[in-house]
Amino acid sequence: MTAREAVPEEFRSIAHDAVDAALKAGAQSVAARIAKVREVGVQWRDGQIEQVTESTTRGLGLSLYVDGRFASVSTSDLRSEAIQPFIADAVAMTRTLSEDPFRALPDPTLYADRPTLDLEFADPAYGAMTAARRRDLARAIEDAARSVAKADRILSVTTSVSDSRSEMFRVTSNGFEGERIDTSFWLSGSVTVQDDDGRRPEEGDTSGGRFISDLGDPLPVGRSSAERALARLGAGKVASGVMTLVLDNRAGGRFVGALLSPLAASAIQQRRSFLEGRAGQVIGSPLLSVADEPLIPRGFGSRHFDGEGLSARRLPLFEAGVLKNFYVDTYYGKKLRMPPTTGSTSNLDWGLGTKSQAELIAEAGEGVFVTGFLGGNSNGTTGDYSLGIQGFMIRKGTLAEPVAEMNISGTQLDLWKRLVGVGNDPYEYSSMRTPTLVFEGVSFAGV
Amino acid sequence: MTPPPSISSDLKGPTLGPTYFTAFGVDERLIREALSDALSQGGEYADLFFQHRVAHNFVLEDGSVNRAFKGTELGVGVRVVKGDQTGYAFTEDLSLESVREAARTAATIAEGARTGAPQRFHMTTGLPSRYATARRWDNVRPEDKLPLLTGLNDRTFSMNDAIRKVNITFADEMSAILIADSSGRVVEDIQPMTLLYLSCVAEKNGEREQNTYGVAARQDMSFYSKDRLDVMVREAVDRTMILFDAVQAPAGEMPVVLGAGASGILLHEAIGHGMEADFNRKGTSIYADKIGRKVAQPFVNIVDEGTQEGARGSINIDDEGNAVGRTNLVENGVLTTYLHDTISAKHYGVKPTGNGRRESYQFAPLPRMRSTYMLPGPHKKEEIIASVKKGLYCSNFTNGQVQIGAGDFTFYVKNGYLIEDGKLTKPIKDVNIIGNGPKVLEQIDMVADDLTIDQGGWTCGKDGQSVPVSQGIPTVRVASITVGGRSER
Repeated sequence: MTAREAVPEEFRSIAHDAVDAALKAGAQSVAARIAKVREVGVQWRDGQIEQVTESTTRGLGLSLYVDGRFASVSTSDLRSEAIQPFIADAVAMTRTLSEDPFRALPDPTLYADRPTLDLEFADPAYGAMTAARRRDLARAIEDAARSVAKADRILSVTTSVSDSRSEMFRVTSNGFEGERIDTSFWLSGSVTVQDDDGRRPEEGDTSGGRFISDLGDPLPVGRSSAERALARLGAGKVASGVMTLVLDNRAGGRFVGALLSPLAASAIQQRRSFLEGRAGQVIGSPLLSVADEPLIPRGFGSRHFDGEGLSARRLPLFEAGVLKNFYVDTYYGKKLRMPPTTGSTSNLDWGLGTKSQAELIAEAGEGVFVTGFLGGNSNGTTGDYSLGIQGFMIRKGTLAEPVAEMNISGTQLDLWKRLVGVGNDPYEYSSMRTPTLVFEGVSFAGV
Repeated sequence: MTPPPSISSDLKGPTLGPTYFTAFGVDERLIREALSDALSQGGEYADLFFQHRVAHNFVLEDGSVNRAFKGTELGVGVRVVKGDQTGYAFTEDLSLESVREAARTAATIAEGARTGAPQRFHMTTGLPSRYATARRWDNVRPEDKLPLLTGLNDRTFSMNDAIRKVNITFADEMSAILIADSSGRVVEDIQPMTLLYLSCVAEKNGEREQNTYGVAARQDMSFYSKDRLDVMVREAVDRTMILFDAVQAPAGEMPVVLGAGASGILLHEAIGHGMEADFNRKGTSIYADKIGRKVAQPFVNIVDEGTQEGARGSINIDDEGNAVGRTNLVENGVLTTYLHDTISAKHYGVKPTGNGRRESYQFAPLPRMRSTYMLPGPHKKEEIIASVKKGLYCSNFTNGQVQIGAGDFTFYVKNGYLIEDGKLTKPIKDVNIIGNGPKVLEQIDMVADDLTIDQGGWTCGKDGQSVPVSQGIPTVRVASITVGGRSER
């Protein structure tokens, strides 16, 4: 295990002082969280810098439990002469609310056994990223984008290089203390191309990670941005029908989010979840196995404790299609008389298949390869969804013409039973880590 | 329609006296030295955007107002511009040293000799008053707001036995801004905002449905009149209960009639974003190079303005300190004017249109919409519905999105009806509609005379920044567009 940097002492004292001030003002319990985030970025366009940004933001957030009542407040005004009256006003505001017997800090036993695994949140080499290096990377992405075949179709290339470092400290009046420092680094390219019919399709690609070394080579990001945009040329819609859908691993988050939101205890308790009362039931095909996994080194959603301070642990969500657990926070857990698990997602860990995306496309034979969604929505109460899509037709097992201006619709409970393929390729630039997914018999709207 | 009021922004106004930000230690010296640092490396233009925002949220759930949220933001953003290039930095510490450091950071966008900074500053006077409020939201006690929520809750439950859950969110905000730029101009505004959402869940025959009704305005407590609250309860319940009778919309291309009001989401997505001048300056919008071209029928007129009194999308000045009037996007079917901020206006050699907006001091301004709507046309609503043999009527929406370059856009329909043989028949629900901006503009072949500006709490997202907007439209017919319903085979 490597030694981890600690947050500044000044930080701890602001949070501790805020807890003391709130208790003095009449709160019975308090949680305080202070965070500081530095973000630096360069945006580059068509041969020159478009924008450079640099900022540091600081904020203090408090959860207040006053005479059986609850409020949460935050401020970026950390002048000591401003914090005291802010807290006093916040406690007074809390007193005006109705009592709520379900509000309390978590049971402190849930703070115990916090994992100690090094999750590699912060790159010790953070300071090595300089303004000159960001600019060179941004330029290199554009150069790579303009190096591909048919580059004369390119109208504009925008690239960006950004990084951030955040420090956070959290303390509660019932014994929780936790902190973390993390870094992240991102590269992206976005390319607009000229189509014959006047359309100017835009596509892009990105890479990133918690460490500078995760950025990798900027050239593939640039080339892929341009190639993805050029592949959109000539896109159109095809006839409406029921077809096989192969979902690009990088686009999966939208679909998966619509399945996860109804797992929230708040949705269950407020009767806005089509998954209410379905624990132990078959929701998806046997291929649907997903767990919430907070302990993945360098994972974007990784954590040792959640937003309430609960020690992080793996939470199986679906196993072989069967619903196993909900996301239960302290408050709605009390309302539902369910033990808390965690109130928020971390990373997803999928039961992976053995096939690559190309193999799944070949196996599908005929269908639509969906690379992105455009608008639409999914109704968490009923599970009805209707989403705009773009992608490519799959003909004889290979990608054919690009499609756009089309839509898919159905209901979630039916959709996940139609899952017939799961790839071996979790998308690494998102905490959802979704692999390529294949669904049979999905309703598409087009012409 | 009234012409845009004139704002005096020359240097004849009073010199800088006390401002809202005096209490935070912001004085003429701080402004002068920060701008001087901002221009220390050859920037052509610089501005400071000070903001103090106090926001509250009160939530009613399970019968009582049992949670509240309060947020305070204080900070200043420093922008330095050279040509099309921007340097931006902000700080939440308004001390002289901290603001100067942010200015020096933003200054690095330019690499040259120091540019002259203003020595004297003048307040802009004669600002319009589009959101006169008797009492600022940060001075309204919670006790005065809470009965509104509990009253709505009781009335919603009493409307229908099928209602199982009611959620109500009341939000209010006071945002004070001060903009000082390198011409010596200083502008100050205090911008109120309030939103009220009522959402309910109902159960009937083992089925469950949920829907929401919301209103928003830059107004004070008087916005919540009895009539408005009556409409709110009735609409929230009706829009929920009708979903039990709804059928799935069909899939494929068909005529779609958009009801007056919230259907303005079509304009926001199909043309509004594409007309934001930054995309056109970069050549990345489908509307680039189309100014002066015929894009729609001669009875189609689309505008973006920020002057409607109390509207969510209205502003006395934009976030660059520029006057806000009305911009004609489409005039008699011809594409007329882009939405400009200072940078794009300079690029195109035109006057800024007052569309430079930002989410907060944490962001550089961008060309953004305010209130986007279509002017009334020659047709009647009844005539439009009667003209459709088989299609859809849409009245209530939740969200939309657009691809600026390809022009494809969507909007999600929460409530509507099938049109069969010229009549509204079965209700429909939860269907996305997808089209292409310029193609759909061509397909608008009937426009009614019943323009309605929607009062919903619309928020527009762009480049990670959210700003409040309004939208509206008369009843219109789109001759053909793809409806994302269920396909039979």
